[in-house]
Amino acid sequence: MKSILIVVDKAPYGYEDTFSAFYVSIACINKGMQADVLLLGDGVYAAIKGQKPGGTVNYPNVVELSYLIFPESKIFVHSHSMEERSIKDEDLVEAAQVIDDIELGKILLSKTKDKAFIRM
Amino acid sequence: MALTPKEIKTLTIIITEGPYRSQYIEIAHNIVESALNNQYKVNLFLYMDATHIPKKNQNPHSFPNVVHRMKKLIKKGVDVRACVRCATARGHACDKAAYLSGVKITSVYDIPNWIKKSDKVITLSG
Repeated sequence: MKSILIVVDKAPYGYEDTFSAFYVSIACINKGMQADVLLLGDGVYAAIKGQKPGGTVNYPNVVELSYLIFPESKIFVHSHSMEERSIKDEDLVEAAQVIDDIELGKILLSKTKDKAFIRM
Repeated sequence: MALTPKEIKTLTIIITEGPYRSQYIEIAHNIVESALNNQYKVNLFLYMDATHIPKKNQNPHSFPNVVHRMKKLIKKGVDVRACVRCATARGHACDKAAYLSGVKITSVYDIPNWIKKSDKVITLSG
């Protein structure tokens, strides 16, 4: 396997999964492997800018983690999941790349060879 | 017929859920057995709540003990590793003998190292 697509469909802070997904991506990049993150469903909340978990839940800030994988790896954010949650493009961090269902299909189909899929 | 080292394929399974509440480890064990029967080399990485799985002295009353089956699979050559960050958070890395013999506590960096050498990667995550 040459690259990884990590799929996150849970909201950050509510679950450990988003942090763990970024930790895997960071480890892969440090080992010379591209590890893109795909945010789907409630996972799209991880790409919203201006998050302030410090002083509240005191969890790591997922936005800061997202900048540790960018630009070596991509952060795909599913547009339909954003619309369902009234999240607009301008609400997202710069590193986020919004993709629609057609682009999502292309990403999944075009990168299946030698690509591992990890769902958190 | 025995395969040559070049012909042996590698399967890596990453599991994130703990035992009993989910059936994932039983599914993982089934996949592992099948892969071993097909002469695969098998790696099993325990991430997040899955780091509870190899804990010794489990005593489930209504379910099969997950450790018993894992012990047999380790004897058959399965490489089982647990994330140190996750195991430490759950109190399993501080106790010297918390885990079943043969389970290594390592880092998340083993995921890319294993994936690079794998022919198939399966994640079992809820």
